[in-house]
Formats: sequence, C-alpha cells, structure tokens
Amino acid sequence: MTKFSRFAATATTAIVAACAAGAVMAADIFVVGGKPDDPFWSRVKLGAEEAGKVAEAQGGSVTWLGPQNYDNLGPDAAELIRQAIDQGADAIVGPDWVPEAMDPAFQAVVDAGIPLVIYNAGGIEAADRLGALNYVGAVDYKSGFAGGEYLGNAGHKNGACVNTLPGAANLEAFCTGFNDGIASVGGTGSVLQLPATAFGDATAVAQAVRAHLLQNPEIDAMFAVGDGDTNATVSGIAQAGKTGSVKVCGMNFNDTILANIQAGTQACAIDQQGYQQGFFAVSILNNFVNYGVTIPTREILTGPGVIDAANVELVIEGVKAGAR
Amino acid sequence: MDLIANLLRRPAAASILSLIGVLVFYVVFGGVELGKLANAASWLNYAARIGIVALPVGLLMISGEIDISIGAMIPAGAMTTAIISGYYDLPIIFGIIGALTIGVLVGLFNGILAVRTTVPTLIITLGTLVAMQGVVLAGSKLLTGAASVPLTAPAWAKTLFGDFIFGGSHQVIIIWWVILAVIFWFVMHMSKFGNWIFAIGGDKVSARNAGIPVDRITILLFVLTSTAASFVGMCHAILFNSAQVSGGMNDIFNIIVSVVVGGVLLTGGFGSIAGVFIGTLTFAIVNKGIDFTAIDRNWANLIIGVMLLIAVAMNESFRKMALSYAPKPKK
Repeated sequence: MTKFSRFAATATTAIVAACAAGAVMAADIFVVGGKPDDPFWSRVKLGAEEAGKVAEAQGGSVTWLGPQNYDNLGPDAAELIRQAIDQGADAIVGPDWVPEAMDPAFQAVVDAGIPLVIYNAGGIEAADRLGALNYVGAVDYKSGFAGGEYLGNAGHKNGACVNTLPGAANLEAFCTGFNDGIASVGGTGSVLQLPATAFGDATAVAQAVRAHLLQNPEIDAMFAVGDGDTNATVSGIAQAGKTGSVKVCGMNFNDTILANIQAGTQACAIDQQGYQQGFFAVSILNNFVNYGVTIPTREILTGPGVIDAANVELVIEGVKAGAR
Repeated sequence: MDLIANLLRRPAAASILSLIGVLVFYVVFGGVELGKLANAASWLNYAARIGIVALPVGLLMISGEIDISIGAMIPAGAMTTAIISGYYDLPIIFGIIGALTIGVLVGLFNGILAVRTTVPTLIITLGTLVAMQGVVLAGSKLLTGAASVPLTAPAWAKTLFGDFIFGGSHQVIIIWWVILAVIFWFVMHMSKFGNWIFAIGGDKVSARNAGIPVDRITILLFVLTSTAASFVGMCHAILFNSAQVSGGMNDIFNIIVSVVVGGVLLTGGFGSIAGVFIGTLTFAIVNKGIDFTAIDRNWANLIIGVMLLIAVAMNESFRKMALSYAPKPKK
C-alpha cells in the first residue's frame, strides 16, 4: 500500500465509522460562531470542542461553522444557521448578532423541532423571543458598563468607544454600556465609528484611533470591543504620544493584553470567558438531546469579569493552567 | 472521439472539469455525501448571489475591461433600499427603484470615464469602489445615525426578491440567476451584440473601424455590472430584513475568481456565459462545500486557494489546445 492510498483508506474508514455512529441516537451539534482564526472565537471553539469530546464519546459530533470574514455578518451567519439545518443537525448553537437578519433563520431551527441555544450575543431576551432552550454568555451592555465605570472611577471621565463593526447589535451594546457606565460616575462618553472593513485590521484601527485622539485632545479614556482591537487601540494611543494619559479598557484578553496590564499600558480587560460559552452551550444541548435533561437556570452568565493590575497574576496562572 | 475533442475545446470545458474535480476531491477526501450536498441550499444561494453579478462582469471582462466597484455596489443597493423603505418608511417600490437607479448612475459614471479617458478601468473602478464605500457609510450615518438599518418589506416584494422557495432554505434569487443566465447566454451567443463584445475584447481599434459602437457598448456593460450588484444588494436587504454598511471587498475577488475559473481571459476576447455560470457554481461549491466535509475548518482557505489555482491552470491548457487546434486534413 502506498502512503497515499493508506491515507485514503484510513480516511474512508474514519468516515464510514462516523456515518455508522451517526445512525444511533447521538447528538450531531452544529455551532455557528466567528472566524476560527479570531483569537476570541478560537477559545470559544476550543470550549465547544472540549465539551464535544463527551458528545463524540457518545457517538455524536460537534461541527464549527464560521464565516470567512465579517463583511456581511448578519446574513452570512443566518445562512450558516440554515446550512446547519440542511446538514441534519440534532442541535444548534448560534449567536444572535443581527436580530433582523438572523431571527427568521433561528425561527426555522425551532420550527424544525431542533433544540437551540443562543450564546455570545442576544441575551436571554433573544432566547425567550425565539423559543431557545437557554442563553449562554455575557450581557454585552453590562460588560461595556463595567468598563466605563472602571475608567470613570479611575478619574478618566472623557471616554470614546471604538466600534469596528457598526451595526452588530452586541458591539453597539458594548458602546452604549460604556457610555452609560462612564456617565454613571460623572463622565461623558462618545463612539468612534469605523467602517466594517477595519474589523480585524490592526493598522486601520490604530491609525483611526491616533487620528481621533489628535483631533479630540480632551479624550482621556478609550474602550475597545475585542482583544485585537484593544491591542490596536493601545498602539494608536502610543502613536499619538498619549500613552499613560489616555487609559484603555477592552473586551476580552490575550497574552499581549495581560502583559500590557502588568506593564500598565492597559488599565483593564473585561472578560466574557469565551471558553465557557462554547463549553456550556454544547454541554447543555448534548445532555438535552441524549437524556432530555435541562438547566432550569435561564441565562447562564459568563461575564463580565474585570481583569486589572490587582488580579492579573492570577489570570496569567489560569492561562498557564489552560483554564482561561 | 471528435465529439469529445470538440467539447474540450469549448471555453466552458475547463470549468466543467473543474466542477467535477472539486466534487470528486470533496467526496474522496472530505467524506461528503453528494445527496446531502445537492439538497443543501447554502452553496446554491451563494452561487446565485455572486452569479448574478458574475454574468455581466464576465461580459465586461470579455470586452477587455474590469469593474471592481461592484464590491461597494452590493452594500450600496442594500443600504439604499433599507434607508428609503425602512428608515423613511416609503413604499418598497421606491426603495427598489432607488437601488437600481444608484446602480445605473454609478455604472454610467464608470462607463463614461472609461471611454473618455485612457485611465485603466481597474483604477477608475478602484476609485468608485472606495468613493462609494465612503458615500454609503457617511450617507447612512448622516441620514439615519446608524450603520445598520432594519427594513420590513411587504409580502409581494418578499415573494419576488427575497423569500425562500421549495419550502426550504433556497432563496428566490436562484431563479433570478437562472433567468438572467439564459438571457445573457442568448445575447452573448445568439445575437450580434455578443459578437461585438468579443470583437471589442479582441481588438478595440479594429472593432471601432468595423463600425461597432464600442463606446456605447462599454458604457452599457458598466451600467449592467453595477446595476446587477445593486440588484443583489436590494434582494439581500429584502430577504434579511436589514442592511448594514460593509466594504464588500471579498465579493469583488469571489466574483472575479468565479469568472476566471469559468474560462474568461483577464485580457479579454475569450470566454462564454456557460463557462461563467459553471465557474460560479464551482467556486460556490469549493467555498461552501468545505463545511460539509470532515476536513478541519482551519485548512479551508488553503484548500480553496489550491483548488482555484488548479482550475485556472486547467483553463490555461485547454485554451492553448483550442487556439492551436487545426483539423486533420482529410485524406
């Protein structure tokens, strides 16, 4: 047997095995989420896949469906939800990013009698409206609020929220929350809107932040809606020569952000613990499909948690242990 | 034997073989069940979305020009519809007319610049692409204060432009795509306009000397591409009850790649509607079919890239065969 045909044979056997296993009652769970190369979403994906190990042990599977870019987010995600139905999903997990575009697709899931969990965006309101089993995630508004409040309490009262994906309901909620949070301690907030093409483009975000700060010298606090955007915002502040005088908080975190918090170039990170979102959404559905058990607690909150200089060491230990 | 050889020399040959190759690859290495894939709507919906624009872009490229402003025109059509009929609550017919009008206007602008100046159309339409991205974002913020606008379309508009058909998740634009493909095929291969377009792509000066209205045809083709794009945007806004500002950069490449996989030469003068149609199908299956495979999603882009290169390489060799063909002398 040549190497090639051996590979083909192995692949075929695996596929046949997978199909045979799929015939018994086991949960084929489809998870609609972000791009797999997005640092935050790769953590959600890991959580979903690790919860999926239980599903696989029971003969089921977990399939990740993500868009190739975020240009046309709502419609693309709605299409992926419908695709999951077409692929014969036993259960579906999805974020309600753009309700106008995605709700009809979620409705189709419920109409087809497929158990549904909304996660990451939409809140328990979306789960109730759509007839989903549950909502797993952070409440976006509260996450933004925590950031605004934190910066305001630190004495930085004039804030701007960098929205790199205008129109996505969760990002709008971060920014509204941030503005309300900073206002709740006597400050003022505004929103810096970037075209959707800037999402994930660190250079574009950094340049826009730099220009905005130079045009609006009164701004002394900024809030970014994702970990990549936070790094770009920190870089934009440095390019404007305002490191230290303008404080930054941002959603989510990664190694760079933790190092920045240690070094003091970033004030805080708001964690929505993406791993938990993927993990619990898949677990809830797997247990429901296999055993019919439910989680009566509605709205499983995974955030917000504030990471700052006071607890960053603990978080870094958590990262090393693979728990965050 | 002659029949097969003749078939292979047609411009659509390579795209048909690419399509078969892609399916075989997915079935053998990805464990795709063909039945499941055939019933699924995702790739067909996607093919229709890019295909409606790929048809006129194919004609434009055969005539030797290119239009990349289509990327901005899809969101522009969607936003125009949503702002007029969603935000200002005017009857949907005004939203539809508005979206198509903006397509015609931008197309006229591109076309007139293309025939009046010697600037390459890549640069002209790059300019309109970026300018329209700005107009759409700034216009939306100025008029509505938001970058995303909800829209509720009446039932007749949904049925016509944005609904699901066959009781599943197939979108009605698939029917539009097929109808348009038939019309374009007729125009391109059965009427004198088709010959004119090939002639323009082959040699513009000779075409003009032969009495072909080169300028008028060029402007018309630009109007077609940008109106097709705004039409797709409009359908999407009606289907998804909303429109959002976006760059549409990916659509540009996806549409042009579909056309090229379909056997159209980037330099013009060679191609066919059947090729573009099948090229679009192939690209959509490559792109969306990966989700039906057991292949790890992290590899998706690599596989898409390699498959496209192979498809284009096949085109190249078949075209050489076609151009160097001489019938055997009869004994």
